[in-house]
Amino acid sequence: MLRVFAALIAGAVLAVGASVAVVNVASPTPKAPDRPLYNYGSR
Amino acid sequence: MTGGPARAASRRRWRGALRAAAPALAGLVLGVAALGPALGPGFVLRYDMVVAPDPPLAWPAAGGFPRAVPSDLIFAAAARVLPAELVQKAILLGIHVLAAAGAAALVPGGRLVPRLAAAVLYAWNAYLAQRLLLGQWALLLGYAGLPWAVRAAARGGPGRLALALLPAAAGGFQAMLVSAPAVLAVAATRPGRSWRGLAGAGGVVAAYCLPWAVPALLSGASTDPAGVDAFAARADGPYGTAGSLLALGGIWNAEAEVPGQGEWLPATARLALCLAAIAVYLHAGRGRGAARPDWWAGLLAAAAAGLAVALTGAYLPGVLRALIAWWPGFGPLRDGQAYLAPLALLVAAGFGLLAARVTAPSAGRRPGPVWPVAAVVLLAPVLVLPGAAWGAFGRLDAVAYPAEWRRVQALVNGDPAPGALVSLPWSAHRAFPWNGGRVTLDPAIKMFARRVLWNDALTVGLPDGGVLRVAGEDPKARAVGALLAGDGPLTAALRARGVRYVLLAGPDRNTFQSRLPGGTVVHAGPELTVIRL
Repeated sequence: MLRVFAALIAGAVLAVGASVAVVNVASPTPKAPDRPLYNYGSR
Repeated sequence: MTGGPARAASRRRWRGALRAAAPALAGLVLGVAALGPALGPGFVLRYDMVVAPDPPLAWPAAGGFPRAVPSDLIFAAAARVLPAELVQKAILLGIHVLAAAGAAALVPGGRLVPRLAAAVLYAWNAYLAQRLLLGQWALLLGYAGLPWAVRAAARGGPGRLALALLPAAAGGFQAMLVSAPAVLAVAATRPGRSWRGLAGAGGVVAAYCLPWAVPALLSGASTDPAGVDAFAARADGPYGTAGSLLALGGIWNAEAEVPGQGEWLPATARLALCLAAIAVYLHAGRGRGAARPDWWAGLLAAAAAGLAVALTGAYLPGVLRALIAWWPGFGPLRDGQAYLAPLALLVAAGFGLLAARVTAPSAGRRPGPVWPVAAVVLLAPVLVLPGAAWGAFGRLDAVAYPAEWRRVQALVNGDPAPGALVSLPWSAHRAFPWNGGRVTLDPAIKMFARRVLWNDALTVGLPDGGVLRVAGEDPKARAVGALLAGDGPLTAALRARGVRYVLLAGPDRNTFQSRLPGGTVVHAGPELTVIRL
C-alpha cells in the first residue's frame, strides 16, 4: 500500500503544478505588432 | 457447446490486438491533444513549417543548403493524391503515432504499462513540443522513426534497417543527421556485431543521405560561424542550460518554448523524471547478457554524443565556430539541441523500465492495487509539460490562405516562360494577420514552380534588444540582396540575373515598386503585388 500512497501524493503534486501552469498560460497574450520584417525568433 | 470456447478465443484475440495497438492508439490520442486546433481546416504555418496548397512537384532549385530535400518533394507528391492540408495533418499525427509505437516496441518484456509509459514519454516531451513549435516537421520524421531504426540496427540486416529509416530518409537532412549516430552506434556495439554488418548499416545511411548530401556539396553554399551564437542551446527553465537539456528542452528560440515550461514545479518534476529515467537506464545496463537490450550501449553512446554537441555549442561555442570556419559542412552542428533525439529515446526507454519496476506485482501479504501507480506513471509526462496541450495553447493553429495568394500562385505557375521570382520585402520571415500574427517562413518559397530568390540571411533577437545576423547561404540571393541594398532602378539588373517576377508583400510595397520602372503589374491586391519584368 505504501507505493499506492506515494503514487497518489506524487500525482496530486504533479496535478497542482500542472493546474497552476495551465492557469498562467491560459491568460491572454499580447497581439503581435504589424511590421514588415520579423526575426527568426529570439534568444 | 462449441460457442463458449470460440467466443473466448475470439475475445482473447481481440484483447491481444488491442494490447498490441495500445501504444499507437496512445500516440494518436496524444497527437490529437497536442495538435488540437491545428487539426482544423486549413494549413499550419509557423516558423519552418510552411506548406502551400498545390505545392509544385519539382526538385527544389539550387541555392543554399538543401534543407527541404527530399521532404518537400515527397510532400508535393502526396499532395497530388490528397489535399495538401490533409497531408500535413496526417504527417503531424503520424509523427506522434509512429514515435509512441516505436518507443513501446523497444521496451523489453510484454507488459503493457511499461510499454505505454515509454510511448507516452516519447510522444509528449519538451524536445518534440519545441521542435513542433519551431515547425520542424521534417526533423520530427526522423525523431519518430528513430526507435524503429534503433531496433532494426540492433537486430541487424540492411533490408530491415532500410525500411525502418524510411521516415528519416523522407525527412532528409536534419532527420538523417539525428538518426545516423544512433543507428551506427547500435550497429557497432550490438552483440554479434561484425564489420560486414556495420558496413551494411553505413551503406544504408549513406544511400539515404545522397539526395541532400550531393546537392549540398555542389551548392557552393557557405555557413556563417555566427550561427553558433544564434542557435546554441539556451536555458528555458530554472535549471540552466545543462538542466534544460537533461530535461529534453533547451531549444535556442525563446518563441519555441512550450508555454509554462519555465514554471518551477513542473520544471523540477520534469528534470527529476528525466534524471530518474536516465538512472534506471544506466542501472539496466550493469547486467550483461539477456537482461541488457542489444541496443543499450549504442543508444547510450549516441545520446551522450548528442548531449555533448548541444553542451559544446552552449558552453564552448568557440570550438564549433572554429570547426564551421574550417569547413561549412560542420554548419548543422550549430543547432546542437536537435541532436538530443537519441537522449529523448533513452529517457523514454528508461522511463519504461522505471514503470516496470514501480508497477511490478508486489510479493507482500497484502499487496495494494497497481492501477493507481500505473495511472500516475502514465499521466506524469503530460502533467510535467501541460503547456504542450491544444496546439501549445493556440500557438499552433490551422488557417486558410487568402484567395489572393492562390490567384498569384496560379498566375505565376501558369506562365511557361522561364525566370526566377524575387520575394520582397527582403527578409525570410513574415507574420500575416490572417495567420494570427504567427511568424513563419515566407510562403512564396514553397509556392512556385520556379526558382524563388529570397533573403536566406537570418536575424535572431537578443535579450538586450539587439539583433544577431547570420549571413545567408545562397550566393545568388546574396547578389540580389546587394542590388536591393543600393539605390536606383532595379529592373535591368534583375532581368540580367534571370529574374522574371517580383512578388511584393506587406505594408511597404511602394518602396520597391517605384524602383521597378518598365515592369508590368500583373496583380495588385490588398496584400500582394506581382510585377513581371
